[in-house]
Amino acid sequence: MNLEGWLHIVPLRIRSLFRRGAVEDELDEELHDHLERRTEEGVASGLSVEEARRTALLELGGIEQRKEECRDMRRVRWLEEFFQDIRYGFRLLRKNPGFSAVVILALALGLGANTALFSLFNTVLLGALPVQHPEQLVVLSTVNENSDSITSFSYPMYRELRDKNAVFSGMIAQAGVEMNASYAGQSEKARGEVVTGNYFETLGVRPWRGRLFSQADDRIPGAHPVAVLSYEYWQRRFGGDPGIVGGKLILNNRPMTVIGITPPGFYGTDLSEVTDIRLPMMMVTVFRPFPPNRLQNSGHQWMEVLARRKPNVSVAQAEAGLDFIYRQVHDAEIQQLPARITAYDKRVARTSHVKLLPGSQGLRQLQEQFSHALLILFGITLIILLITCANLANLFLARNAARSREIAMRLALGATRRRLMRQWLTESLLFALLGGGLGVIVAIWTQSALLHFLPASERANLGRTTLDPAVFAFALAAAVATAIVFGIIPALQISRNSLAPQQGDPRLAQSDMSPRRFRGALVLLQIALSLPLLIGAGLFLHSLRNLKTIAPGFDENRVVLTSCNPSLNGYPQERIRTLYDQFLARARALPGVRSAALATGVVLSGGWDEINVNVEGYQPREGEDMAPYSNIVSPDYFGTMRIPMVAGRDFNEHDNLKSGSVGIINQTMARYFFGNRNPIGKKFGTDPGRPPDIEIIGVVQDAKYVSLKEKQKRHFYVPVAQQPRLFDMTLHLRTNGDARPVVSLLRKTLQKIDPNVPLYNVSTLEIQLDDSLARDRLITWLSTAFGVLATLLATMGLYGVIAFSVAQRTREIGIRMALGAQRFDVLRLVLQQVAFLVLGGLALGTFISLGGIRAVGTLLYGIEATDPFAFLGAAAVLLVAAALAAFSPARRATRVNPTVALRYE
Amino acid sequence: MSKPSDLVQGTLDFLVLKILAVEPLHGFAISRRLRHVSDGVLQVSDGSLYPALHKLEQKGWISAQWKPTENNRRAKFYALTKNGRKHLSIEADQWDRLSTAIFAVMKLKEA
Repeated sequence: MNLEGWLHIVPLRIRSLFRRGAVEDELDEELHDHLERRTEEGVASGLSVEEARRTALLELGGIEQRKEECRDMRRVRWLEEFFQDIRYGFRLLRKNPGFSAVVILALALGLGANTALFSLFNTVLLGALPVQHPEQLVVLSTVNENSDSITSFSYPMYRELRDKNAVFSGMIAQAGVEMNASYAGQSEKARGEVVTGNYFETLGVRPWRGRLFSQADDRIPGAHPVAVLSYEYWQRRFGGDPGIVGGKLILNNRPMTVIGITPPGFYGTDLSEVTDIRLPMMMVTVFRPFPPNRLQNSGHQWMEVLARRKPNVSVAQAEAGLDFIYRQVHDAEIQQLPARITAYDKRVARTSHVKLLPGSQGLRQLQEQFSHALLILFGITLIILLITCANLANLFLARNAARSREIAMRLALGATRRRLMRQWLTESLLFALLGGGLGVIVAIWTQSALLHFLPASERANLGRTTLDPAVFAFALAAAVATAIVFGIIPALQISRNSLAPQQGDPRLAQSDMSPRRFRGALVLLQIALSLPLLIGAGLFLHSLRNLKTIAPGFDENRVVLTSCNPSLNGYPQERIRTLYDQFLARARALPGVRSAALATGVVLSGGWDEINVNVEGYQPREGEDMAPYSNIVSPDYFGTMRIPMVAGRDFNEHDNLKSGSVGIINQTMARYFFGNRNPIGKKFGTDPGRPPDIEIIGVVQDAKYVSLKEKQKRHFYVPVAQQPRLFDMTLHLRTNGDARPVVSLLRKTLQKIDPNVPLYNVSTLEIQLDDSLARDRLITWLSTAFGVLATLLATMGLYGVIAFSVAQRTREIGIRMALGAQRFDVLRLVLQQVAFLVLGGLALGTFISLGGIRAVGTLLYGIEATDPFAFLGAAAVLLVAAALAAFSPARRATRVNPTVALRYE
Repeated sequence: MSKPSDLVQGTLDFLVLKILAVEPLHGFAISRRLRHVSDGVLQVSDGSLYPALHKLEQKGWISAQWKPTENNRRAKFYALTKNGRKHLSIEADQWDRLSTAIFAVMKLKEA
């Protein structure tokens, strides 16, 4: 329709809606005017006034009928009725506050849990980076015969790919750097990132304050002492002081000028890290000085590379174009590989080619970490919502039964079924929207509770989850969908209701059984859906208990941890070594400290070093994994951790750079390389080009290193004193009593030694162990809470159906009893129905569970997803709940007094 | 009762528009004009006229205005809008084609 048409129609519609009185008056006047004129005409042609009027009325066919037809032409009727339904809905809502509260609360819980999970989902799995055209971004990776998607590249390779390709409008590289950041005499650890000069321009990020890097800030290695801060770091550390732009920070003992701040919400391209400070790529030679030829060495892959496709280039085209260049450069690199690289490794290297990964969400570590668990939680909340819907449909059906007189009356007065169905749906929509609104509040609570279960590091990453429009849209869509699901069944029911029987007392009606059967089916469905949730809860509880009983191989109680990295300050090795010695000596002397040791790796803190070894007398197969875990530790590490020595001796002060290299291995490594032979005195090496030179002086018991769930890993230890270079170290302190007072004392003591070396990750081993179970705990508690909620809802539904059916059959029961039925017979009558619903539900539930429960398999420890006891336990819980629900209605049935029941008529 | 059984469906709209194309009229006048113009052949019940008028108004083809008439009365006068005129010419074309076709068929000689 054209504009003129709209200009005509819109005011008409608005007038029909809001000036209804005037419109009605005019309609009345118009029709009466017609009637009068027609009557006059009739009189003029010789009829009497009465006759003329009668004829005119007959011709018109009744004023009210015509009015109704004219009203229908206004096209706003549906809207009028909609408002009418809403008014009516609100009236009902107020009339039954108890019913309304239950419905809205149940909806708020169901929708809230879903919205909370969706908002996590939205952040972790769906959210695009806040940069320009994120869909054009790709993450570069290489794939070879033995591994998929390695996202690390060397600087020379990056330079070649960037300069020779014709498919990208920009290609950026980045790498993490550790930092000691000092400002105004206060030093702390910060996480930094070196980024290429085109980083911000390519991503399309604009400065919040000051300016960001350009190519001019990234030309000469080590010559650009400038830094850009993240908005969050700027707020946290400097209280958002705009004066910091242009000021100087001491980063790793080097003054750096802050030139700008990135906008809030920009977290870089790796959402699994919280980056505080960004530096030009060329500064990497200063901030990660080893190896010194980092920017020239093509064998050293340490950067992540992202690129922006030109708008008209597809991913496939870009990949093909880039792969061509990559293979050229890579083949040349393989030619130059040193002789010690085996032919096998070279052959594998030759199979390497470029693969472009979608980059709109940046690097996907965080997503991959969480996606599986999140998907399962999301699935659980969807089931909860479905159970809520079934429960509400049931409640509404029960209410409709109570309203059957009203329905019959309205149908008799001429209301169409469609009209009633529409009213029912409007009412459920009203409830759903109220529940959804409250659900958003529940979602906010749930979300902060969810985050609470996670360790601080992950909380920082996920804490940026926001309730954005997408989340509200989801909540709204979920509410509407819910309303349709739980509103449609009672609405359909109306069309099945026959008029006649319902005009009498519903209890006396020879009702067709369909509403009851419907409600029975809903309860059956609720029980069926509760079963997999309860099974899941049982499995996760069992798995968590298994995890808690895992012997970690060390004693986690009363061990204080604190890390530092003086090497970042650019100190010479001598000074670093002295500093560590001082730290250790002071820490040992602290009151309450039983023993202390240094180590580079901290158990259950995430990553671990894996180093390739060659072992005396052991010939590896082609492609065999020869990289055990390794850790650099000081003497008394095993004593402090309480990792028992099995054979040989611990490191001592005589093992240093002047004496021969020594090492300690764990039992698994001893068994793997030496079988039953005694490993003490044997040698292994960490440089495959040279004969093994590290003498094994001891064997310690196995422990868990990265995760409690891991299988036993091979592991070797080498002494701190024999390392040519020392980087970050973590002090391990075993205390006599409570660890907490020692922590603050330790901090004060160590800060006095060198205030420019910040301490970080101050924690206890117990917390470390606890945090490593955070995700398992989260999923366990959530699945348990949801399982219990589901069971409660199902029990409520079952109670409602049984109680209703007993009430309905009071007369029947009365007759049976009058005819001689015993209490036991009556009980059997009720229990038959309960048994049908529960056993039917369990059967259907088992079917559903068998299909879905395998999905949780990888999240479980020490228990199979198909564990029969979890199935039986869940079934038993539901049976007990069902028995409780049926108890009171069943008792009521047995107490029916035949005289009273029959007299009721 | 209100359906004009003797009129092809949709013809009433067309006739009303055509009548209003000459001059704006109120409902009663339209009803009278309908009877006169067709020499009483087209029997349009008054009952179906008003819903039709309201429908055409809501579709934006005619507009309504209250105007005074003879001896101190006022009546709702309907007039053709620009969109209504457009619609009428489309309808008229269709009608022409249809009636030509029917006429041709009717002239076929029986064998």
